[in-house]
Amino acid sequence: MNGSNDAIVVDNISKRFRLMTIPKQASFKKAIVRFEFLKRKRREERYVDAVRHVSFRVPRGSTLGLIGRNGSGKTTLMRLLAGVYKPDAGSIAIQGDIAPLLSLGVGFHPDMTGRENVKINGLVLGLSPKEIEARFDEIVDFAELQDFIDVPIRTYSSGMYMRLAFSIAVSVDPDVLLLDEVLSVGDESFAEKCLTRMRKFKEQGKTIVLVTHEPGTLKTWCDSAIWMDRGALRMHGDAADVVAAYHRELHASAEQPVLAG
Amino acid sequence: MVHSLYRSRWLLYELVVQDLVLRYRGSVLGFVWTLLNPLLFMAVYTLVFSVYFKSGIAAFPVFLITGLIPWQWFMTAVSLGTSSIVDGGMYVGKAVFAPAILVVVPVLSNFVNFLLSLPILLAIAAIFGMHVGWPILVLPVLIGIQFLLTIGTLLLLATFNVFFRDLQQLVAIVLQLLFYLTPIFYPISAVPEKLRPFLFLNPMAPIILGYQRIFYYDMLPSWKLTTYALIVSIAVFFAGRYVFERYKDALPDYV
Repeated sequence: MNGSNDAIVVDNISKRFRLMTIPKQASFKKAIVRFEFLKRKRREERYVDAVRHVSFRVPRGSTLGLIGRNGSGKTTLMRLLAGVYKPDAGSIAIQGDIAPLLSLGVGFHPDMTGRENVKINGLVLGLSPKEIEARFDEIVDFAELQDFIDVPIRTYSSGMYMRLAFSIAVSVDPDVLLLDEVLSVGDESFAEKCLTRMRKFKEQGKTIVLVTHEPGTLKTWCDSAIWMDRGALRMHGDAADVVAAYHRELHASAEQPVLAG
Repeated sequence: MVHSLYRSRWLLYELVVQDLVLRYRGSVLGFVWTLLNPLLFMAVYTLVFSVYFKSGIAAFPVFLITGLIPWQWFMTAVSLGTSSIVDGGMYVGKAVFAPAILVVVPVLSNFVNFLLSLPILLAIAAIFGMHVGWPILVLPVLIGIQFLLTIGTLLLLATFNVFFRDLQQLVAIVLQLLFYLTPIFYPISAVPEKLRPFLFLNPMAPIILGYQRIFYYDMLPSWKLTTYALIVSIAVFFAGRYVFERYKDALPDYV
C-alpha cells in the first residue's frame, strides 16, 4: 500500500464538526431542567463537513502547497496530518518524524521570559531538554533577541514575538514539516533569513506541506499543489497549473458573486 | 495515558515549574502566601471554635492545620484543574499534545505547595508540645491515596467541563460545602453514629482522619478506613481514566 517513496499517504479521509452556536451550547441547567439528556434526538444538530473524502500522496523530499479560500478545509487538513484531530473516516500514514508548525508560539506565556518560553515551546514541539539546550544559542541568534532573552515576552513587540516563535519552530529537525501560513514573519531581512532556512530544509530532502495565500510562494517553493474547495479536493497537480486554475475561478466568482458555502 | 504522560515528562515538569513561578512572580511575599493561607484560617477558626464555642479539643490549632493543609492541596487542585482543559485552548488543537498533562499540572504544583507546608505543620505541632512519632512513616500511603483520588476526580471533572461549562461553577460551590462536611475543624466523634456512613461518602473524610491520626493523635491511621479510601480512590481514578480516554479525541473539537 504505502510505497517507500511516499512520505505521506492520505487515503479517503473525512472530518465533520458539530456546529456550536452559542445559544445551542450544552448547558447543565438546560440539560437538567428540560431533561434534554433524555431526549437526545430532539436537539437540532448541524454539522459542517470540514474535509470530505480527500486522498493524496506526497513523495519523499517534495513540497506540497495547499491553496483555497478561507474555510475550505486547509487548516483542518493540516491538523489532521499533524494528528491533532483524528479523522472520522479514512487513514493517514506518515513516514518519519513530523514537525507540525501549525501555530507559532504554542504555550508562550506573556509573563515568562524569552528563555523560559523557548524551553516550553521547544518541549511542546517535541524537542528534548538536551536538544533545546544545544540549540538555544542558535535560536536566540536567529531571532536576533540576544539582549531581550531574559525579559518577559509581554514587553516584546509583535515582530519580536513572532521572530522568537519562528526561530524555535525552525530549529526542529523533522523528516516531515507542516507549515500553516507561518512563512512571512518579521521585517524584510528576517523574512529573507526564513527563506534561506526553508531552502536548507528543501536541500536536506525534507518533505514539506505548506498552506499559503501567496501564489508567488506557492510557485517558487512547491513541486505540486492541492486546491481545496469547501472541504473537498478540487484539483491536485503542478503548482503553477493549480494556481492558474484557482485564480481563474476566483476572478470569475468575484465578477459574479455567489454565496460561499 | 500514563505512557503519554511519561513521554511528556519534561514538558510536565516545565509546566509545573511555570505554574509555581507564575503564581508568585511579582508578589513581594511570594511562597509565603501559600503558608499564610492555612495559618490565617487556623487563627480565625481557633478564635471561633476554641474561644467562642469552646469545642474542648486540646491543642486545637494543631488539630485544625493537620486537616487544613491536605485539604488545601485537594481543594486548590480541583478548583483550578476543573477548567484546565478548557483553559488550555492555547495547547489543545494547536499542537500534538496530551491533554492529560493539563489535568495533572495543578495536582502536582499544589502537591509541591503541600510538601512545602508540611514543615509548618510540624513546627506548630512542636510549639504546642505535640509529639509526632513513627506513624509518620505511613504518610506516603495517605499521599498516594490522595494523589489517585485527586487525579481521578479531575480527569472526570475536566473532561465533562469541556462539554458542560457550568460544571466549574458547580464545583466551586460543592468544594465549599465539602469543606464543612469533611471532619477538618471538628472531630469525627462530634458526628452522630447514624450520620457517619454519609460522612464517609466523601472520600476526603477518611483521608483527613488518617492525617489527623498521624500528626495529632500520634497513631497509625485506621486500617479499615485507609483501605476503604484506597478502594474508592482507585475506583475514581479508573473511572476518570476511562472517561478521559473515551472522550480525549473529541476534546480538540470542542475546546
